[in-house]
Amino acid sequence: MLKGFQTIFVKELKELIRDPKILLGMLVIPLVLFPILGMVLGYAAETAQEQAEKATLLVVNNDGGNWSEVFIAFMNASMKTIVVSNLTPQQVLEQDLLKQNNSTQFIEIPAGFSANMTEHASGNQKIKATVNVYGVFQGSGVFSDIGASVTNVIVSKFNRYIAPDVVQITQSTIIKGEIQTGVDPATLSSLMMMQTIAIPVTVMIMLTYSMQIAATSVAMEKEEKTLETLLTVPVDRFAILMGKLASTIIVAGIASAAMMIGYNYMLGSITTQIPSELSVDLVKLGLMPTTFGYLLLGISLFMTLLSGLALAVIMSAFASDVRGATALVGYIYPIIFIPAMALMYLDINTLPMAIKALFFAIPYSQPIIASKAVVMGDYTTVIFGIIYVAIFTVVVMYAASRLFATEKILTAKLLFKGKMGKTVAETE
Amino acid sequence: MSLAVEVKSLVKQFGNIRALDGITFNIKEGEIFGLIGPNGAGKTTTLRIICTLILPTSGAVKVFGLDVVNQASEVRKVISYLPEEAGAYPNLSGWEYLEFMARFSKGSASEVKRTIEEAAAISGLGERLKDKTKTYSKGMKRRLLVARALMTRPKLAILDEPASGLDVLHAYHVREIIKRYVKEHGVTVLLSSHNMLEVEYLCDRVALVNKGKVVVEGEPQKLKAKFNSANLEEVFAKVVGYA
Ligand SMILES: Nc1ncnc2c1ncn2[C@@H]1O[C@H](COP(=O)(O)OP(=O)(O)OP(=O)(O)O)[C@@H](O)[C@H]1O
Ligand SMILES: [Mg+2]
Repeated sequence: MLKGFQTIFVKELKELIRDPKILLGMLVIPLVLFPILGMVLGYAAETAQEQAEKATLLVVNNDGGNWSEVFIAFMNASMKTIVVSNLTPQQVLEQDLLKQNNSTQFIEIPAGFSANMTEHASGNQKIKATVNVYGVFQGSGVFSDIGASVTNVIVSKFNRYIAPDVVQITQSTIIKGEIQTGVDPATLSSLMMMQTIAIPVTVMIMLTYSMQIAATSVAMEKEEKTLETLLTVPVDRFAILMGKLASTIIVAGIASAAMMIGYNYMLGSITTQIPSELSVDLVKLGLMPTTFGYLLLGISLFMTLLSGLALAVIMSAFASDVRGATALVGYIYPIIFIPAMALMYLDINTLPMAIKALFFAIPYSQPIIASKAVVMGDYTTVIFGIIYVAIFTVVVMYAASRLFATEKILTAKLLFKGKMGKTVAETE
Repeated sequence: MSLAVEVKSLVKQFGNIRALDGITFNIKEGEIFGLIGPNGAGKTTTLRIICTLILPTSGAVKVFGLDVVNQASEVRKVISYLPEEAGAYPNLSGWEYLEFMARFSKGSASEVKRTIEEAAAISGLGERLKDKTKTYSKGMKRRLLVARALMTRPKLAILDEPASGLDVLHAYHVREIIKRYVKEHGVTVLLSSHNMLEVEYLCDRVALVNKGKVVVEGEPQKLKAKFNSANLEEVFAKVVGYA
């Protein structure tokens, strides 16, 4: 046995186990975070499925023949369908029929459908009938195109009953009210997935990393034994706090700028990587943020980082050393991770009001919500989010100012004594 | 003569530990006053209350007539505190550290400059002031911090074991500076120490603290005479009852 190994091992173990903050962190994350995430994801898949099943399917019958009636009857057996006749897809959009029927997609049975079916049935296997599926691109959430796949499933079921591959589907996508013929919503969704995952992951990494750094700012003064001296010089204690915060604003600014550059580059390389035969051009389709969108996203990110950093600096004032401070800040991580991971799979707009409000109330999910909103051109949500985070940050800073600005900093900490351990000056 | 510090029935309770149990003493202006006593006697706790870092459980402290609890920010303008265990910012140079600290008490750039030049002289660190403080030895760091505490010429300097960690020569140097400062700039000094030789040499008056109480107080010469002892160590042993 390695000499001294056991002695060191036992001592390290004792120190770790006796630090309740570390132990709690080790238990809270896996035992609470994962079950919650599991619930969120299960719920997400469930609602998406339910919505797809509940959704009404609008059928535009431009054929009028017998086979079209058979086809509609078949569709109607598995989905609620509403039938309109003799409208071009453009007219469907113009008359706003989708919204009126609470639907996100429609099937057009083009003229000649029945004739082609009859041809095929009479032995001319080369002739196939076609239906045109038009789906509204919703932009976000891994499960958001389940609706489209339900139609596909029903059509292939129909084929199995009648004849293999008799009905072909052409997919088109409606993006921002315009029909993009031949663009499959599933292809688009998988392209947008990259963005759906990349933004939350980056936000999580940036927030946790910069909060760790900010958390050390006050704790470091304690560890290096400089805080006592600083607290006895004639300087406003609120100024100490604000000074530390201001330096983290610079960090937040640089980080946001770097992220926007990286994000732009990523989207740029997605568009160039798309095989040209798919003829999907995100820029042309309006699925890349505009300059204004980039700007808003950047501001949203900056404000969120700032609010996280402010909270971290303030929390670190309550820890006695760097290790304690980082452990304390770790308690915020589940609040960052749960919405970030949930929003990878969910479209915030499809969530029930309570969860939607909760996610919106967590400042750290704002850039993720914003990244989806700017792509869809929904600037109101983004601006509202920025204002909300700004207010949140001001409230946090105000709370800190109550604690630090007056001479009460010490008395306030004495009040915390039971909860937070010893006071700042007394901890050494 | 007016009083620089008035400490009256000071009590500090840390949970179950009664660190201070009714300490009372006064310091006159321009005096060097020493708190001496064994480990855990309550010296540091007393100094921390006087320098506004922690709040007393009961009792009152006035610094030049200012209450340390209700007028803490006023008190901070007239004092400087050298903690027993203190550090400097590891990634700043000695110069930068002194400048950083000087800016809090001095307004104009010329005043700041004069202050840090004075500190540089006190510290005796010379060219090494250009190096980051993390490269300093323990004694070098202490000299930097002593210089920091005296450079602003506070009305009251509170020094918790000023010469701890210093070799004989540097300890001597620091003592000379403290003495000179009191004479030249009318600074009042409150210090704590374990070194009876240092205390005898430096202090006009001392208070012997034991278990959170002042057991005896007076001028070193008079105490020695009163207890018929050759030095303060012996006085202390007799008072506390070891001899
Ligand atoms: N933050 C604290 N929490 C709990 N007890 C404390 C705290 N600070 C000091 N004490 C206790 O108060 C008593 C006095 O401590 P203090 O540091 O004032 O002694 P001291 O005279 O400075 O000793 P030394 O010569 O070792 O520096 C000791 O019993 C100590 O354990
Ligand atoms: Mg002490």
